[in-house]
Amino acid sequence: MNGYQSSLAGPAEAVRPWTVDADTSLQAVLDQPECHPLVCDSLTAVASWQIRVETPVRRALTSPRVAPRWVAALLALGASVTVSGGSGSREVELALLLESRAAGRVLALHIPPGGVGRRWGQACVARTPADEPIVLACAVVEMDGQTVQQARAALTGVWPQPVRLARAPSQLVGGGLDEASIQAVASALMQEVEPRDDYLGSAEYRRAMAGVLAWRALEQCLGGEGGGR
Amino acid sequence: MSGDSTTCVTLTINGEERTLRVGRSTTLLDALREASYFSVKYGCGVGDCGVCTVLLDGQPVHSCQIRAADAAGREVTTVEGLEPVVKGVAGAADVAYLHPLQRAFVEVGAIQCGYCTPAQILVAKALLERNPDPTEREIREALSGVLCRCTGYVKIVQAVRLAAARMRGAEEPSFAPVEATLAPGQSPANVLGEFYRARPLDAPLPPLVISPPDLEAMHVVGQPDVKVDGVKLAVGRPVFTDDIKLEGMLYGALLTSPHAHARIRRIDPSRARALPGVRAVLTHHDVPRIKYASGGQSYPQPPPFDQVGLDDKVRHVGDRVAVVAADTPELARRALRLIDVEYEVLPHVLDAEEALSPGAPVIHDEVDTEGIYDAQRTIVHRIGADAGVSAAAWARVDHVFEGEYRTAQQQHANIEPHVCITTWDEDGRLVVRTSTQVPFHIRRMLSPLIGLPVKRIRVVKPRIGGGFGNKQELILEDLCAHLTIATGRPVQMIYTRHQEFTSSRSRHPPVMRFKIGVTDEQEVVATELELIGDTGAYGTHGLTVQMVAGQKALTLYNAPYSKFACDVVYTNKPTPGAFRGYGAMQCFFGLETLMAEIADRMGWDVVAFKRKNWIKLGEELLIAQALGEGREGFEQVIASSGLDQCVEVGLEAMRWYQKRGQRSSDPDGEAKGHIRHGIGMAVMLHGSGIAGLDMGSATIKMNDDGSFNLLVGATDIGTGSDTILAQIAGEVLGVPVDDFIVTSSDTDFTPFDKGAYASSTTYISGGAVRKAALDVAEQIKEHAASMLGLPGADGLHLRDRQVIASDGTSLTLAQVALSSLHQHDQHQIIASASHMSYTSPPPFAAQFVEVAVDIETGQFTVERVLMAVDAGRIINPITASGQVEGGLQQVLGFAHCEEMVYDQSGRLVNPRLGPYHIYKCNEMPELEVIFVQTDEPTGPFGAKSIAEISMDGIAPAIADAIHDATGVWLREVPFTPERVWRALQAL
Repeated sequence: MNGYQSSLAGPAEAVRPWTVDADTSLQAVLDQPECHPLVCDSLTAVASWQIRVETPVRRALTSPRVAPRWVAALLALGASVTVSGGSGSREVELALLLESRAAGRVLALHIPPGGVGRRWGQACVARTPADEPIVLACAVVEMDGQTVQQARAALTGVWPQPVRLARAPSQLVGGGLDEASIQAVASALMQEVEPRDDYLGSAEYRRAMAGVLAWRALEQCLGGEGGGR
Repeated sequence: MSGDSTTCVTLTINGEERTLRVGRSTTLLDALREASYFSVKYGCGVGDCGVCTVLLDGQPVHSCQIRAADAAGREVTTVEGLEPVVKGVAGAADVAYLHPLQRAFVEVGAIQCGYCTPAQILVAKALLERNPDPTEREIREALSGVLCRCTGYVKIVQAVRLAAARMRGAEEPSFAPVEATLAPGQSPANVLGEFYRARPLDAPLPPLVISPPDLEAMHVVGQPDVKVDGVKLAVGRPVFTDDIKLEGMLYGALLTSPHAHARIRRIDPSRARALPGVRAVLTHHDVPRIKYASGGQSYPQPPPFDQVGLDDKVRHVGDRVAVVAADTPELARRALRLIDVEYEVLPHVLDAEEALSPGAPVIHDEVDTEGIYDAQRTIVHRIGADAGVSAAAWARVDHVFEGEYRTAQQQHANIEPHVCITTWDEDGRLVVRTSTQVPFHIRRMLSPLIGLPVKRIRVVKPRIGGGFGNKQELILEDLCAHLTIATGRPVQMIYTRHQEFTSSRSRHPPVMRFKIGVTDEQEVVATELELIGDTGAYGTHGLTVQMVAGQKALTLYNAPYSKFACDVVYTNKPTPGAFRGYGAMQCFFGLETLMAEIADRMGWDVVAFKRKNWIKLGEELLIAQALGEGREGFEQVIASSGLDQCVEVGLEAMRWYQKRGQRSSDPDGEAKGHIRHGIGMAVMLHGSGIAGLDMGSATIKMNDDGSFNLLVGATDIGTGSDTILAQIAGEVLGVPVDDFIVTSSDTDFTPFDKGAYASSTTYISGGAVRKAALDVAEQIKEHAASMLGLPGADGLHLRDRQVIASDGTSLTLAQVALSSLHQHDQHQIIASASHMSYTSPPPFAAQFVEVAVDIETGQFTVERVLMAVDAGRIINPITASGQVEGGLQQVLGFAHCEEMVYDQSGRLVNPRLGPYHIYKCNEMPELEVIFVQTDEPTGPFGAKSIAEISMDGIAPAIADAIHDATGVWLREVPFTPERVWRALQAL
């Protein structure tokens, strides 16, 4: 279903973190050949060309309502940011910045390199294909052979914050990735989320969708090396 | 310009270095418009709609989101900067000399109202500079940031493809309408194979126009002429209301209510009045209490007259409180914040059914409103009508089916907001330049409110940036006029996008209960409809929308017995009004969904069941006479119908019987995974004007060179009516559309017309134009006969700008004009004519959709839409198909996502185009339009209407398709993911 869920094929991964100046526009990010497919996908369909041109990385990160899909993709990819503080600049996880556990002016965005074992997936529900998602799940799994080394899932629409990392996928680490483990994560995630009612969907619906979409995003990671199906 | 401290900014605009004085917070949008780059439009001010787009260093940006100061040293491109191929007089007027993108937009018919056109063209320009050969998907993605409410984006995308191909020097398949004339006895379905085969696989399908074998050929009517206003819209000339600046003009602003229901205990404007630069502040203490109804309808307007200019009570969030005029818009907004208002908040009610319950708040407790059916119970109108014999009909019934259906309050989202400029002219007359669909009604309605006789008011309608019914209303004109009267100066008022949602109009959200009785032989013998109409805080169109709802819904199957019972109630919501579809589309959702459900439950073929029962040629519209529309009804008989053929064509084109009932995960596979495909259909009819009420007039005047002025009161709001009216006149006079200077509408210079509503322009105004043209043609022939020394005009005919005698001798129209004006039997060849009708012949249509439903989330995608329409003879297939395509975009939103949602206090939670969400370019399904022409004997050259019927069947067709895919019936619009999901959970 066009625009509903990603079906991404990953190119050869970069070997170094991809660093983007915080003054860079989202359109310039999208235009970079290094732009990860998950990031590219999250910047099109909903965010218009005009918004991408006008919006610098800094604003998109510090106001995650501007581009929540993109922020979710970054969280799932394990992005970090360089922020300036009283004692100079430092690199912190993007998740910490979004949770207000780190402060400072964002100077740069870093997207860590992925190995050949990186797999990813994204799924969402929206009123229409180009509408802002009601709930979105974005998952990235780093595999070493058949073993999960890292697993991250970011969701929108199921917490008071626009975007947040879920804890539940961490239970995949050290184990294999299969339908049973994915189902367990999806079930745990439904318990973890704290959705609220709004005009787009009730809390009950959002909770149910968190499970469905997280399952789908992770299930795409089963698709093989380099990305989703 | 902002009231904050100013600075000079130097930037390059369209290649020319300009230094602008701007405020620190002045947006690039305001700075450009201040500098007379009027192609850059205001639509929302928050970056949702994209019509303010300019290119900044070659990249598209929202000029409303960029500070002018931040553009210093950068290069700005607006549409004014697009270079024509040939400059000067030729380039200014001839489409062939325009920039390839502008040319393609005009030629393909990508321009309707034209308000978003400059932005679309600029984005396309930027795209083609990055990618000269974009795919359709890339075009749609690029254009997705500019919202269009008129076109369905179909022809915009095609225009970009065409321009791109021309700029590359490549071939692009034509998107011109395709004509197919049937051989005697040939089915319209038989022409489809060749039509589909003739197109490359990746090329979209242009409109198909099917003609019956006996339809008389025409020369001008039926041609895909480009719009007469296309060039000026493509190049962004200042043609809209807001595109003029008058000397000394003030800026008005409206203070609106924060409460759903409250009495104003005290209002103190003194601090606002004391603000330097504020020229007037008006409250209910300053404006005479004259009761009126704001709906722009013919005299006498339907009751109740339940509004006053400014009241001491507010009845919805967004209701009028006070109005200000100041030297700048910023000052006016500051002044609003300085008005002290003390409210006594009253209990409110937002739900129409709750409003009917005992103890509900009384919304109109004032003593001076007349015409409310029961003010204490908030019932504005009680409507009842039936046709046929109830007992006899129900006695024949074998099965009774009932269903309750609800549709949401939809906002028009016309991209140009309501805007008005008032000023005194040199004769002490008030000139009202306003974005309206009903200039003559506005003049008449405004007169008592401002205490000026009609003769001292002139209403001018410039180009209109979309209306769809929202501008069939007196919204700003009285307030703007009061400010001009108070200050003696020109005043401009424009709604913010937020005010468009809360303080203009919207679609009525009814509750409908259908009861249908059928026999075992699949005959519908009785249909009853109970309707609760929610008219919000004021009555305006509350009566007539519900009457149309009942009339159309009960006419489609024209059961031997029909009954309509309706209560129209007040609530404390922003007031619904006229909106394209006008009650009919809401009721067709209920009716057609229940008909499909009946067929499903009875195991009948839904198409055969409907075909057996839909109204046929020669049948009388049974309920129409009993119900009427705001007035008495008239006896009417169906004189033309192509509904059978529309359905036949649609079934074949969609491969209906191969796809129906598969519930498959892909169109040709079996059910698996979480996606299910379904196909659905609905049939519908509409009307062509209001029978016995609507009247239009036209004047045609011949000029020295054989050209003509065509003066019409008919109000082109982007639909192309100026063009099709010129085609009608051109057919009679034997001249092309180019030979008409069309003027619409100015109450001083054009004859009366009721305005653009009720699908009336082609049929009613077109009838007037045809009559006037026939009169002029007779005058031309008589004069030519005299010039040729013939005893009479018999045997003369007009063709190719000539008067041709039976012996082949001829005169040019220019010769006739010069003779009549200057030489021989001197007189002005001129005629005026009026037209009205006691019938409103229905256009008919069938709509088909294919959907893909995600059964785990409830989200669905509309993948394909096909509409086969009988609108009589098609006057112009480009503008007609544009009407269908644009209507489909609006109704897809109605069915799928658009809904005004309120919190408990009555505040709208989604009063922005982003969260509200209308369909964007990159999510439109494939749209196909097929015209099945008929020859309506009462219409001009056989034409019926086309404007509204596209709205009527998509919602039930989607409901039918979702049922086909999943087995669930949906009874509430829009079909949000959660509603679909809940229905699936309940299976």
